[in-house]
Amino acid sequence: MKRPSESRRGSPTWALTLPLAALVATQARAVRADEPSAAPPPLAEPADDADADAAEPVDTQSQINDLRQQMKDLQMGLDQTRQIATLRRPIVNVSGYVDFGFFAPQGTGVGVVQDEGPSRYFPEYANKYAWVFLGDLLAPTVNSRGEAASLGNFPGVNRFDSIDSTGAPSFIVNEVNMTLTAALSPSALATASVNFVPRSGHDFSIGDFMEVDIAQLEWMPTRSGRTSIFVGKFDSVFGIEYRDRKSNQRFGVTPSLVARYTTGTPLGIKFRSKLGDEERVVIAGALTNGSATTEQFHFYDEIDSNSGKTVSGRLSVRPLRFDLEIGASGSWGPQDHALDSTDAMWFVGVDLLAHFGPLDVKGQWIKGGAPGETGPVYDPNHRPYGLHLNNGGYLELDWMVTPFLGLLARGDLRDAEVWLGDPNALSGADRFYLTKEWRATAGVRAVVNEHVVVKAEYLHNGEYSARMPSIPNDVFTSSLLLTY
Amino acid sequence: MNRAPHHRRLTSLVVASVVASVAVIAGTPSLAMAADAKDKDKADAAPTAAEFARLEREVAEQRQLIIQMLQIEQDRYTILLKLLQTGGQIPPGTTLPGVPSLPLPGHAAAPSAEPEAPASTPLAVVTGHVQSRAGSVKDAYVYLDQVRGSSAHGRTLEIKQKDKQFSPQVAVVQRGTNVVFPNFDAIYHNVFSTSGRNSFDLGAYRAGETPRAVVLSTPGVVDVFCNIHARMNAAILVVPSSVYTKVGADGSFRLENVPVGSRKLVAWSPNAKPAQQRVEVTAAGGQASFTLDTLAPAAHANKLGQPYGSYKD
Repeated sequence: MKRPSESRRGSPTWALTLPLAALVATQARAVRADEPSAAPPPLAEPADDADADAAEPVDTQSQINDLRQQMKDLQMGLDQTRQIATLRRPIVNVSGYVDFGFFAPQGTGVGVVQDEGPSRYFPEYANKYAWVFLGDLLAPTVNSRGEAASLGNFPGVNRFDSIDSTGAPSFIVNEVNMTLTAALSPSALATASVNFVPRSGHDFSIGDFMEVDIAQLEWMPTRSGRTSIFVGKFDSVFGIEYRDRKSNQRFGVTPSLVARYTTGTPLGIKFRSKLGDEERVVIAGALTNGSATTEQFHFYDEIDSNSGKTVSGRLSVRPLRFDLEIGASGSWGPQDHALDSTDAMWFVGVDLLAHFGPLDVKGQWIKGGAPGETGPVYDPNHRPYGLHLNNGGYLELDWMVTPFLGLLARGDLRDAEVWLGDPNALSGADRFYLTKEWRATAGVRAVVNEHVVVKAEYLHNGEYSARMPSIPNDVFTSSLLLTY
Repeated sequence: MNRAPHHRRLTSLVVASVVASVAVIAGTPSLAMAADAKDKDKADAAPTAAEFARLEREVAEQRQLIIQMLQIEQDRYTILLKLLQTGGQIPPGTTLPGVPSLPLPGHAAAPSAEPEAPASTPLAVVTGHVQSRAGSVKDAYVYLDQVRGSSAHGRTLEIKQKDKQFSPQVAVVQRGTNVVFPNFDAIYHNVFSTSGRNSFDLGAYRAGETPRAVVLSTPGVVDVFCNIHARMNAAILVVPSSVYTKVGADGSFRLENVPVGSRKLVAWSPNAKPAQQRVEVTAAGGQASFTLDTLAPAAHANKLGQPYGSYKD
């Protein structure tokens, strides 16, 4: 057995330990005198590092000081770089996406059939309208823009059939979007969203086009940022579907059957305010050049042809603790395309939006109307369409089964009559569209990463009236979305 | 009494301590010098985002290493002191300081079991009351300021991202705490803060991906947001030492282990202007009372310094 003294002599590391022990002896004495029963937190004062650790060995102390100095230098360098980086921050932020798709429509890809000949489905309209169409022109939609696979070649109509697939399966660049945002001040944000849409030309004209769907200035005048005032061309305030009208926002691929009435981007002024600490009430209103119908449909014109303006608004509440939003919307104003403000086009609707973890529930119901042409003479370029939107709506479930895979199920309904011309005039009206459509959509969504999303949908369009013919207008469509 | 085993353990302990310190000291300046050299090389070039990020990383690493090194030095002295006090007996529960390694994002470290160094100043208890002009003192804290306590090296706080919210939304941590932000939502979140020296940007990730983390080393309030969802927010108060306490529902508080002397105490609550007070703490303790002025909620910018816009909910 070794004696302690032998052990000490035999251990060269004591040569290191003893000076260290001596250096802390003063500290040790102080601790013995003042040590409280409970171990206190290690504190030194003041906070200034310069006078700390006075009892350190010289070499260690100098190294620590060196390190501290280096850290200070680095921190100074970081602060300077940060300042420079802040000054060099881009004034305009560019983002957007490329939406590339593939679709395969059923039949000819046309959503309507003409009701003609001696054995008409609806003979009661025969003497009032020159042409009667049954179905929904936009039912066989293939993308988030709401474009139909084909509009058909019907008499009396000269439309820009942007896709005109004639029923063939096809690849398509749905749109290339570029969104520019610029903070003009901490409370003012300018946004422009531009879509580049490559399409086939006809008759020696190029079909490609570019559209500006958002060109707005948003000003948040309050410190809380809960109130915004917009000027320019902006999103609608009607319903909820406008929030995911773009393909980078939409869970699935296609819009609902009533998106055409609510997801347009009108021009004017708008406000939106969230009320209460928990923002349980949101109120929004807009005064615009016409309605929030979309450019793919008949009602919209960007620059007003009448002096009256359209008023629209929405009030929503989140009454419960879980994430449920219930809203009511309305709009009223002169008919789009009309040269006068005599007759009004209106819409009312209610909506629901709820989040239950990975499951989102979205629903909307809408009703509306417009008298159309009520006089005998209208400028050929400014003919308002008549509308009876008796019922329209959808219920959608978006479920992210895993962070990678999502499933979509949606049911749609649209019961509407649309016409051009005055059916009470002696000469009758031009044309009439009768829609009693339902749609079931099943979709899948794969989020590959934050920049790549693949989506696919099957849309089954059906006609629910026994008098309506069955129209082969189902669609399979898909989208590869690349965001930047 | 057979003291030989104790001596051998003591020898191992000291050797390990010295090796650990030398390893840190030797490693740290080389990193710093490398960073300096790179900085000099690029002094004339305009800083890029990558350079900026690299510099930030290097400073964070430097800071972390220094904190760890100081911690080890402190631990070493603590052990030596205890050895002296116990006549060479290694106290139960004493652990050998090891060679530090940089914290890996997403890997939560176990709370430190290392003993804290005793203070040379007597400690006392400060009690008092906090009231808020807004009425509620929920999530209010009182802490001791202007002290340099030990870093919370090795401690980890988890702030979840779930249902487009941070949870907890208010937290107080000691400087040096590693804060991990796991995302339990199927959608992407991008956690960031632009709060001074605690600024960070963890990038976008979703559930199932490795949670990212940040070490908060500088005392102060860290406002945390998501760059994608404007409503997501959390406030983390980084305190300089372990001397802090949560205020009770009735506004009362009891702050222990306050060194005797003239001390600066701060009462803090999210959405309130911090109230500070210098308190004369005697061996019998001290008293303090605070009134918090509520701050009106303010909109925050995204990580680019731009407003979100009202639809980024």
